[in-house]
Amino acid sequence: MATNPMHQFEVYRIGPEIKIAGADLSFTNASLFMLLSAVGICIVLYFGTKEKKLIPDKLQLISELFYNFIAKMIRDTAGSKAKPYFPFIFSLFMFVLFCNMLGMLPYSFTVTSHIIVTLIMAMFIFIAVTIIGFLKHGFGYLKLFVPSGVPVILLPLITVIEIISYLSRPVSLSVRLFANMMAGHTMLKVFGGFVISLGVLGGWLPLSFSVALTGLEILVAFLQAYVFAILTCIYLNDALNLHH
Amino acid sequence: MANLNDFKNRLKIAKNKLKKNSKITNNNVNSSFMGSAFKLGTDLVAAVVVGTIIGFILDSWFDTKPWLIIIFFFLGSVAGILNVIRTAKRMQVKD
Repeated sequence: MATNPMHQFEVYRIGPEIKIAGADLSFTNASLFMLLSAVGICIVLYFGTKEKKLIPDKLQLISELFYNFIAKMIRDTAGSKAKPYFPFIFSLFMFVLFCNMLGMLPYSFTVTSHIIVTLIMAMFIFIAVTIIGFLKHGFGYLKLFVPSGVPVILLPLITVIEIISYLSRPVSLSVRLFANMMAGHTMLKVFGGFVISLGVLGGWLPLSFSVALTGLEILVAFLQAYVFAILTCIYLNDALNLHH
Repeated sequence: MANLNDFKNRLKIAKNKLKKNSKITNNNVNSSFMGSAFKLGTDLVAAVVVGTIIGFILDSWFDTKPWLIIIFFFLGSVAGILNVIRTAKRMQVKD
């Protein structure tokens, strides 16, 4: 059981079974780790911003770093019009980051390695961005699908291609995060299994691989959270500042 | 206030040091490039998958199997390549 590399992705119930209107709403290990990352974010940011010192301590430095990082990202990619959406993008980035990073701890569960979690977030962003686009521009938002300067004969073809490209956004957003997290964690487990099966004599090579992979996975965990947030900004930019 | 002046001096020295090591400022660009590289692969595949799924659904609506799935597979591939070209353009603008 412990050598099965997919065992780590299993969702199981913690505590009693709760069923409301036929839907299973029991508390699972996935819910536990979502809750842990949400509480972790609150703790870091609460204690980081509690005392506003001129010379910041480590926790304050980290929270200011996160704030500046996201604020700069929104300013660079979506412009000043996207300022009202800062709280959403900041929470999104922090949540994905903390879920990914908590998943790097041994014996923990990686929430973002389940496609349903990432797909829900991506669909929420997709629908929200579409609604924002229609609210800001009315039916002019449909111009996004009709690029200017295209011959009339080609227009139906281009429009269909643009619509497919637009609809592929949530798929690519969710699959990217899910696939990267799942592949990385499976690889870590497989190499860990090699260490055990090769024993003291041959186990050193996969062990060194495992150490290197852990470093890579921490990089990927950060990078995927960053990519998720920056793509949200780019999509928001398309909706707010309509031009092609 | 002596403490504050001392801090200002140290900050100035540290900022000058940071200017000399221009490598540190490059770090940010680097990570955004790696993010774009991750984006390229999935964008290409996702559009093909979405195109094929749309073709499949339309096929079962209009009973035109297998023509629409073939057409939409190719349209999806075109959309995927378009996605990649757009990302590549965005990467070049940042330079």
